[in-house]
Amino acid sequence: MAEHLPQTPSAPAASAPYRRSEQLTPPPAVPVSEVAQTTFEHVYEVDPRLMQQHVLQQVFPNWDTLRIMRSRADHLQWMHQHFASTVISGSEILAEVEAEAAPAGQPLR
Amino acid sequence: MTATAEPMGTTPLGNRPLEPARLDALVQALRTVLADDQILTNKTDRYNRARVPAPFPVHRWSERLPDLAVLPTSTEQVAQIVRIANEMRIPVVPRDGGTGLTDGAVPMRGGIVVDVKRMNQIHEIDLVNRTVTVGTGISMLKLNERLAQHGLFYPDDPASYPCSLVGGRIGTSGWSLIGSRYGHTRDLVLSFDHVLPTGDILHVGDGIGGKISKSSSGFQMKHLFMGHQGTLGIATKATLKLFPKPEAELSPFWAFDNYDDAYACTGALARAGVATFAGAVLFDEYKVAYLRRDDEAYIPQPGDVRALVCSVMYGYEDEVRAGGKRLFRIAKEHGARYLGDEISEGDWAARHDRYATPLHGRTKDGQVIPMSWHCEDAAVNYANVPAVSKAWHEIIARLRRKSDVFDDWGMFAYTSANTGVDYLTEIDVGIWEQRLDDAAWAAWVDAKREIAAVAIAHNASMSACHGSCREGEVDLLPEELGRGFDVMLDVKRALDPNNIMNPGKYLLDGAYDNACEGTSRG
Repeated sequence: MAEHLPQTPSAPAASAPYRRSEQLTPPPAVPVSEVAQTTFEHVYEVDPRLMQQHVLQQVFPNWDTLRIMRSRADHLQWMHQHFASTVISGSEILAEVEAEAAPAGQPLR
Repeated sequence: MTATAEPMGTTPLGNRPLEPARLDALVQALRTVLADDQILTNKTDRYNRARVPAPFPVHRWSERLPDLAVLPTSTEQVAQIVRIANEMRIPVVPRDGGTGLTDGAVPMRGGIVVDVKRMNQIHEIDLVNRTVTVGTGISMLKLNERLAQHGLFYPDDPASYPCSLVGGRIGTSGWSLIGSRYGHTRDLVLSFDHVLPTGDILHVGDGIGGKISKSSSGFQMKHLFMGHQGTLGIATKATLKLFPKPEAELSPFWAFDNYDDAYACTGALARAGVATFAGAVLFDEYKVAYLRRDDEAYIPQPGDVRALVCSVMYGYEDEVRAGGKRLFRIAKEHGARYLGDEISEGDWAARHDRYATPLHGRTKDGQVIPMSWHCEDAAVNYANVPAVSKAWHEIIARLRRKSDVFDDWGMFAYTSANTGVDYLTEIDVGIWEQRLDDAAWAAWVDAKREIAAVAIAHNASMSACHGSCREGEVDLLPEELGRGFDVMLDVKRALDPNNIMNPGKYLLDGAYDNACEGTSRG
């Protein structure tokens, strides 16, 4: 089935060359609050200024940061399937409630 | 209850290790019952069973070491171990996962830790009567993996779901996140085999026990042998009630710009009488502020998100959808803002497994510090939740002013029942365990006592979930139970004449003539 794989994967494949400098260069940090910053999408970190005395920040290669984040998503997905066959999305229910309430009702903020 | 003629409570109450000759004699006696690999005497095996998740000063851990641990595989082996311990007057401490927060599995006087984890068999799945019979060393997660093959589900769901064991749930009479729909451990366990402190085997249940869910025959003993924190014996094999595995789950999270609206909404959701309603959770302002530091779901939330409410429903898809619409309408009436599918679904899925969450706190100047999590809980009527919350935060604020060892991580209030009558109300406190010296520990114990006193002053029970046998709150147990506490002492003395079963817990040493100073009630 290899012929169906995309020519340019969107993320490094397991067989991609490992370049240490590349792995130790995360995307530029963007402050998102007074105490936190973000690097990859959905990856939040404590502001490094708050980790200078008692707990020092560790250097994570990019692959490990992404692995932890994806493992977390896998774990949550597993939990959903463990407890019920289907997850009903709240946004669907909200849309139904708002549709029934219209035009007299006021939508949820 | 009549006192026996024999001397009572003759087990030594100290926590010094057994003399080598006595330890050798114990091991020799146990070898008549167990194989060598079921008797663990090395330091690693004993240290691994010396503690539970609740913080305790590191420099005092050695006070809580067992002399050895055993890994029985059957009710009969447990009974024989307990008989040997009773004859030799050596303490026995049941350990069923060790995930409890009130020190139930902690060896206070050394002795033998009975670790039930090898009793993890599924003995019978009865598809006709919808029951399963298991060894008490099985976890709910592993059990439900097997039950799912039959479309069935055992809905006992603590925050330690992946790692706590059925036996521990019996010993603590546990509380379940989805108990408002399915009931809690006491409602889900039909009966169990139980080894008494003398080594006799008792089958506990309603009437004849077995697979009976309701009987009016004789005393109702099931509740007595649940929630005793291992002080009345060891459950070994349990028959549990089963439900169809839910077809659908819905877990909306809503944001509020103030606590009062969120509190009112929680009450209205719980009182709505929706059949698929499995629980509602109120997050207060302190909890939101805490999550805003470190939780990826809450860091980006706008500043006007000050309190949260989550509700969860399980059942067939059509009924969950219908109930869900009703709850969404109630939330809307209370000014809720839906937080979106990603947070709602992700945060709920994470609530089944809070023991895997890495934790850190902050010094008062904001620096990150390694902290352990502790949680003080009470069963509080809805009307009193705000007053109890306010008083508890004030207690922790006083501690925090004294020391960076303590950090207020906010409060949750979870529905305990499907009518909204009472709530598992908990305050989460970060504790810098490595800095927990004797003075800080004493301050913490005082605070725990104050927290319990606030609960009792509001007609609450000191614990909805964990138990109340830790240093601090346990001092108020006689006040909470009144004459009932004396009955506890009478029952303990009658069933455990030598005080070998998990001594040092729940002030029960006071049932014996040689009680330690400070634990006797005179």
